[in-house]
Amino acid sequence: MKKKEREKDVIIETVARVMIPFVQLFALYVIIHGAGGPGGGFQGGVVFASAFILYTMAFNLAGVRERFPESANTIFSSLGLYIYAGIGLLAIIFSLGMAQYLNYGFIPFTSHFEENRALGMDFVEIGIGITVMAIIASIFFDLAQKERNRKEEEEEEESRSWSGSSQKSSQSTTTGSSSSS
Amino acid sequence: MNRLRVIALILILLLCVLFIYIAEDIPVFGDPGAPPIKCVELFTMEVDQVASLLDQHILPEKLSRELVKRGFPPPSRVEKIPGIEGEWNALIKKEEPHYAKDEKYYWIRKEGDKLRISRYAFVVRWIEKGLEETAVLNMVTYGLADYRGYDTLGEVTVIFTAGISVILLLRRRSRL
Repeated sequence: MKKKEREKDVIIETVARVMIPFVQLFALYVIIHGAGGPGGGFQGGVVFASAFILYTMAFNLAGVRERFPESANTIFSSLGLYIYAGIGLLAIIFSLGMAQYLNYGFIPFTSHFEENRALGMDFVEIGIGITVMAIIASIFFDLAQKERNRKEEEEEEESRSWSGSSQKSSQSTTTGSSSSS
Repeated sequence: MNRLRVIALILILLLCVLFIYIAEDIPVFGDPGAPPIKCVELFTMEVDQVASLLDQHILPEKLSRELVKRGFPPPSRVEKIPGIEGEWNALIKKEEPHYAKDEKYYWIRKEGDKLRISRYAFVVRWIEKGLEETAVLNMVTYGLADYRGYDTLGEVTVIFTAGISVILLLRRRSRL
């Protein structure tokens, strides 16, 4: 038996459609604004991931997987860490033998030492935001995928038990297959 | 078996007492004058002519000898804290690149006939010098990303490791 299509809720879908761009914009604002006010990479990353979670709850998992595929997710989750460590490496290179790891002042973004430190902090916050966003989204997608697989198995089991054959044998086969997979 | 339980109970009670003591002893949050935030006390010494020398902004030989004997960096000069009688700052030379100015390091104050010498906590520099050293307004951000950059790198690594572990445990397809 084919899986029953989930009925659509117009209110939730419309609200999500309107909300998601604003949630993402707010997340970018929180990440970028971390140097001047309340905010930062951790908070902004989690807010950005919550936009994906809202999409999944309002629509479905396949749609969000199309827009934000697994490969991109994995790349992003390590990209942020690479940005952070790379900024530190740049500081080593530009400090010319003094080996000042993560001392952003030596990276020549501008001519002022203090401004360089502020800009280096901004780049580091962006890196933190990317990693946190990708990791939170990845954990949520994995859990949702697992839950959906389990539900599908249960439904399959129910349909098989209703379709005439004896209940006991079908149960034993499904449990056997699920434990082996 | 029974004795093990008694020992465990005693240890737990000790931990409870310790936590109650900590809860009593912890300074009021956000109080910049609280002892653990402002300074760490090093030692006390007798006041003879040291105080009058300090008042004339002269570094007493006895004080720097005492500090070096205890393994602390020797101060380079002394200055009076303006507006307060009997309190002085001692400064040391900084070895960091790019910041050539002296750093406020020791806090000396007179209490009766004793001279109490403390070392300023790192947070004092963080609060007072953060804006001019990093050109960032947000104290939390420059603490998190600049002064404590290594810690934050470690935190991001922890989050990354957690995510990879969830992928490996739940996806079960032997690929990332």
